[in-house]
Amino acid sequence: MKIAAFLPELLRHLFKKPATVDYPFRKLEVPKDFRGTPFLDPDMCIVCKACERDCPAEAIEISDVNPAEKRFRMVIHNDRCIHCAQCVDSCPTTPKAMRMDSLFEIATDDRHKLKAEWVYVRAVLKPKAAAPAAPTAEPKA
Amino acid sequence: MSFEIPIGPQHPALKEPISLRMTVDGEVITGVDIRLGYNHRGVEKVAEEKNWTQNIYLTERICGICSHSHATCYVQGVEKLMELAPPKRGLYIRYLVSELERVHSHLLWLGVAGHEAGFDSFFMYTWRDREIVMDLLEMISGNRVHYAINTIGGVRRDLDEGQKARILEGVATLRKRSEYYFHIGANEPSFVGRIAGVGMLSKEQAVSLCAVGPVARASGVARDVRKEDPYAVYDELDFELCTADTCDVLGRVVVRVKELLESYKMIEQMVKGLPDGDIACKAPRKAKPGEVVSRYEAPRGENIHYIKANGTDKPERLKVRAPTLGNYPATVEMLRNGFIADIPLIFAAIDPCICCAERTVTLVGARNGEERLVTLGDLRRLAIERHQSAPPKRNAVWPI
Amino acid sequence: MADLRTVLYLLVYPGLVFLFVYSTFCEWFDRKVYARLQNRMGPTHTGRFGLLQPIADFLKLMAKEDVVPEAADKRLFSVLPVIGLAVVSTAGLLLPVWNFDLGLPGWTSFSGDIIVVLYLLSLPTLILFLAAWSSTNLFATIGGSRVLTMLFGYEVPLFLSVLSPAILADSWRLAEIAAFYQARPLLLLANLLGFLIAVVAVQAKLERTPFDIPHAETEIVGGTFTEYSGKKLALFRLTFDIEMVVASGLLATVFLGGFPGGAVIGFVHFVVKTLFVIFLLSLLRALTSRIRIDQVVSFSWKYLAPLAVLQLLATILLKGLLK
Repeated sequence: MKIAAFLPELLRHLFKKPATVDYPFRKLEVPKDFRGTPFLDPDMCIVCKACERDCPAEAIEISDVNPAEKRFRMVIHNDRCIHCAQCVDSCPTTPKAMRMDSLFEIATDDRHKLKAEWVYVRAVLKPKAAAPAAPTAEPKA
Repeated sequence: MSFEIPIGPQHPALKEPISLRMTVDGEVITGVDIRLGYNHRGVEKVAEEKNWTQNIYLTERICGICSHSHATCYVQGVEKLMELAPPKRGLYIRYLVSELERVHSHLLWLGVAGHEAGFDSFFMYTWRDREIVMDLLEMISGNRVHYAINTIGGVRRDLDEGQKARILEGVATLRKRSEYYFHIGANEPSFVGRIAGVGMLSKEQAVSLCAVGPVARASGVARDVRKEDPYAVYDELDFELCTADTCDVLGRVVVRVKELLESYKMIEQMVKGLPDGDIACKAPRKAKPGEVVSRYEAPRGENIHYIKANGTDKPERLKVRAPTLGNYPATVEMLRNGFIADIPLIFAAIDPCICCAERTVTLVGARNGEERLVTLGDLRRLAIERHQSAPPKRNAVWPI
Repeated sequence: MADLRTVLYLLVYPGLVFLFVYSTFCEWFDRKVYARLQNRMGPTHTGRFGLLQPIADFLKLMAKEDVVPEAADKRLFSVLPVIGLAVVSTAGLLLPVWNFDLGLPGWTSFSGDIIVVLYLLSLPTLILFLAAWSSTNLFATIGGSRVLTMLFGYEVPLFLSVLSPAILADSWRLAEIAAFYQARPLLLLANLLGFLIAVVAVQAKLERTPFDIPHAETEIVGGTFTEYSGKKLALFRLTFDIEMVVASGLLATVFLGGFPGGAVIGFVHFVVKTLFVIFLLSLLRALTSRIRIDQVVSFSWKYLAPLAVLQLLATILLKGLLK
């Protein structure tokens, strides 16, 4: 056993730049394909509801689907979202209608501010041939 | 003068709530009473309400440090039930993330052991190097914790050449740093004085108390699921089973550092030998009826999942036996006849992941302090009665 | 006029205000050095370079709620932090930096004041023990017994090693000891071993790693300080900061040649030399891990005390040779 085996390493660090970053005045970049918050690209959505079915946290809510006027309403509850990106994987369109952005500093003090809503007119609703029978226009209680 | 010291449920030595009531005589411990259940979340019950894909994310969140272990153990079992054969490339990526998780967990543990001993500089250095692994995992999977790289039938993301080069670079840096930490851990006199001869668990005791993981391997019991029962890619990789003979906390440090070096070897083999092909195969939504037991070597020991399917798209039963639960009886034995000053070190040496181990419940009456042990049969009966008399719910009712 | 001067002396410089400001500056220096040794940043945002961080911590603690446990002895519990602060501040007045005239001994510089400083610096340990005992908390009781056990370890080496230079300089007055070494700087090297022992013993007195056993956070929650909160805890922490300044001032006087050159130059010497001793204390803090209470006592009596006796013998031999 050596006394002060650690000493040279410690003293060397006195002259190195610190490894920590002065957050929040300086921020680090997130890598490509970082799983931030989900958002919808309404032009591509075919309202198959696969994302709503597969979400583990029940964070996606699709309601008021109106085939006649071609509109639907989707609410993404970002306060329930666990950022797993399963909705992105389940989305069958190419390019995908559900996508993830890189935002992770979304904390706020009122959970109702975290809900993102889309009400879209002129949605392209493809006739559901192979998808399992999901009930349409189910009003949320 | 003998009195009872409560360590927990809230204590700076514990990262998670658990109650250890120690009976002490001066500075020597004469008995320990472990009480669990402060972190019980009902994961096994919730798993019966979610379909196979959603359960991947649920099992991942049983623990934060060994999240990939639980998800992989579950997915292995479900793939067996659905009789799927995931492609080789997908398996290599999945177990590459497993070994990276083992590296991150052992570096975390080294830092925590240093902090419990008061050696804060060691803690800061090992966690700084752990950032290299966290950045690699973020690059591969999109998040630093809860990688969610598994899907039933393979993995969700692929690796490209740039990422492979960065993994090899990161592992080379880490290998140098880990060897330096080994040197420090074994040679710094104040640190070794704290961990040598502390928390003794002989080989016979380790076998009879069913200790798992590095705790058992530090007592000379050569058991590792990757060697005894190789699953997926482990029979193609070349690595050694690390044991130590000292049966104390120093042995556990040595075993974990040796496992770190073995993991670096395995990661390099997997990255260099990554086969081409698909990363996943298509999985059906429903599983045929059957039951499966899936074993996996998590950083803390042997992780066992039992899954029963009944032909629908939801499991009928999921049972999790996390490795820390297996180490609790051994902990009681290790703490006996130790000093108070050694409690945090001995407890930290089993690498406790308390949230993994929340399976038992003792009901203690709040007003009169009387304790009632509720058996599994009674709990099931109570739960079924409650479930049958409650109205059917399609979606969860959120409390807002 | 003399009364006003005395009051200013006691309250402002070198009294409470100066000690408060300087000890918070030393705590900032200690935290910055400790952080840089660990490759981190240390305090950065409060004030320029984080200089106001310790003052901010003190003010925050003063503003928090003060809870006294029901079973505790209220008067003893409340008065102990104030006594601690008074004791170390008085010890601070005796350092030979505040404009001393060697020929005229007065209330703040007299023969035997080195013993008074050592005595006043041992009192906080007893005060800590009383604080732990009057808290009637299980963890505090264990902390209190550990405080006294450590006292049996480090006091003897500290006293022996600090008294060796005094024996060589043939005086028990701090100002005269400092003047002796200022005249013959080479003799400082004869006390090097004593200096190292004194640094380790002062680290134990200040209860910093590797000797922070009495308030070991991961073992016994807060140890002696478990039940203290709010203003009382703020005063205790200030007591420890001032004790660090006074102990390093004592070591700088006796082992590093004091503070020559009058008011301004002497003050600069004071700052530089105390910061050097505090740098050594921070280095020791970052270098080692906490040791167990039984290991403290065995380490002190197996290594520190014999080395201190060796230093004493060497000093006596040297003194005989010099005559």
